[in-house]
Amino acid sequence: MSGTITLESVTKQFPGGVVAVDDLNLEVEPGEFLVLVGPSGCGKTTALRMVAGLEEVTSGQIRINDRVVTRLPPRDRDIAMVFQNYALYAHMTVRNNMAFGLKMARMPRAEIRRRVDEAAAMLGLSDLLNRKPRQLSGGQRQRVAMGRAIVREPAAFLMDEPLSNLDAKLRVEMRGEIIRVQRRIAAPTLYVTHDQTEAMTMGDRVAILSDGVLQQLGTPEEVYDRPVNAFVAAFIGSPSMNLVDATLERDGDGLAVAFAGARIPLAADATSARPGLAERAGGPVKVGLRPEDFGRPGGAPIDVHVTRLESLGSELVAYLTPAGATDGPVMTARLDRGEKLEQGEPARVTVDVTRLYFFDAVTGDAV
Amino acid sequence: MRLLKLIAIVLIVAWSIGPIVLGITTSISTQREVNSIPTHWVPQSPTLGAYRALLNGSTGQVSGGTVVQGGDFVHAMTNSAVIALGAAALTLIVSTMAAYALGRLRFRLSGGVLALLIGTLVIPIFVVVIGLFQVMANSHLIDTKRGLILVFVATQSPLATWLLYTQVREMPHEPEEAALIDGCRRWQAFVRVVVPQMSSGIAAVAAIIVLSVWGEFLIPLLLTTTMNAKPVTVLITEYVGKYTTNYPIVAAAGVLALIPPAILALVLNKRITGMLAGSS
Repeated sequence: MSGTITLESVTKQFPGGVVAVDDLNLEVEPGEFLVLVGPSGCGKTTALRMVAGLEEVTSGQIRINDRVVTRLPPRDRDIAMVFQNYALYAHMTVRNNMAFGLKMARMPRAEIRRRVDEAAAMLGLSDLLNRKPRQLSGGQRQRVAMGRAIVREPAAFLMDEPLSNLDAKLRVEMRGEIIRVQRRIAAPTLYVTHDQTEAMTMGDRVAILSDGVLQQLGTPEEVYDRPVNAFVAAFIGSPSMNLVDATLERDGDGLAVAFAGARIPLAADATSARPGLAERAGGPVKVGLRPEDFGRPGGAPIDVHVTRLESLGSELVAYLTPAGATDGPVMTARLDRGEKLEQGEPARVTVDVTRLYFFDAVTGDAV
Repeated sequence: MRLLKLIAIVLIVAWSIGPIVLGITTSISTQREVNSIPTHWVPQSPTLGAYRALLNGSTGQVSGGTVVQGGDFVHAMTNSAVIALGAAALTLIVSTMAAYALGRLRFRLSGGVLALLIGTLVIPIFVVVIGLFQVMANSHLIDTKRGLILVFVATQSPLATWLLYTQVREMPHEPEEAALIDGCRRWQAFVRVVVPQMSSGIAAVAAIIVLSVWGEFLIPLLLTTTMNAKPVTVLITEYVGKYTTNYPIVAAAGVLALIPPAILALVLNKRITGMLAGSS
């Protein structure tokens, strides 16, 4: 099975004028697992519901497997969807929940039985087929919802935050399970989540949406290493990237970045790789520092004041303000557990200058 | 404080149960004992004579003023059951679909339709009774069970629709959306997924309609003339004679007529109170 999901200039305007999705272009390639991620209200669920046919498209075109489905009702789109709250048919057994779509398609009974048994075995549901949904745990219900989707052998899979009703441990477990099943089915999958960790760990590619507009589409590494703007930079990564208002200063032949009393000279290759930086010399810029880029050996030292320390056991999360600027920006740093820091005391930490990010102070676009 | 509460409870229970207890004791008394002074609160020689007279028939002489035609009572009970169940079934078909349409489908004036529907609940039946009689007469529906059923569908469906509407509004959308994706048309999703989801509410509303139609008196009194459609509520009043009344027979009829709705109310008690409290 292979196929594609294509969104071409898809726009959704609700009655009343709110534009939920604005000129969205996206293609899920054969067998690909594409994650649509963004904060709540960014339009990701609306986009998914348009692909499912549950929401009308204002303008643009949606194709599944190169077939235009923009105006087709959901039943004619050859898709399957997994909902956040499972959406199981409460009055039917697990077996009938999974068989429902096949019965609607008037498939022979023997074939229905074969497919349901096979999917149940794949998902570890074989012993639960005669139970009702209310007799199942959250994780089991989620598996039934998955099973109901895969028995259909659809041209495309849609998933709307399928893990957000599960507890943290189960969520991690089900992440792996969904990926395993999707790899086996190999149907293109559009997966919606607000959780960037899910996006990064599950997606072949990640599409980041904000206010209905696609910000960036790329592999997890690309969106992490080369975010196109400050929004993507802050959204991807946990804890969030520190974004600090700073000034670019000339430093001999090179450049230095100064913020709240701290001054970091930039490496020559960092400067030459970004010609936009030199143009902004003497002006304001937003600097991005990832929490995990603090405390690296060989980094540039900055003097800070430790406002708070949280120990996660494996590492330390420190909240730091630049020394001499107590009302300055609070930066989050992930440090090795061996770091000798005291809450409320001044300290000197290092920052990996090769890993700094720069954004336009006004537009937020990456420099 | 607790004492006051206790007194209040005792008073309320006495207020509700009192007439029923009185009805039962009267029904197993003789006419003579009922009329005796001082009053006998507990019959000295309990008898099922009144019940026998009611079911098998009696002459005026035996039963002291009240002539009971054998079989009439059972016939009227059957009429009541047919009318109540028929009205409930039809009302539910209409109201479930109306509630779904009003609660789910977006169309112009849906709010206005609902307001109009609820508005009809405040119009007392007396206001429309003359017009109703004319309509029924012109349609040759006087003294028919189907005529009464139609009238009760009209009077019951606003409340039923309203109650079911609130349930539809509280129901999650996703199962029916899943059904649409699974290959259903809208009406198939409604029949196969939405209606089963609403089953508890439908059961409660069914009970509410049956209880209320069973107790109806004014409309059947106006629209029936013979045993063809007369329900038990109307028949009982006919046991009240012009000069004398056989109280044990009237009481026995009342007690028997009470049994079917009482059983229904006991069985569905939790669902009905839940529905009326809006939680279902």
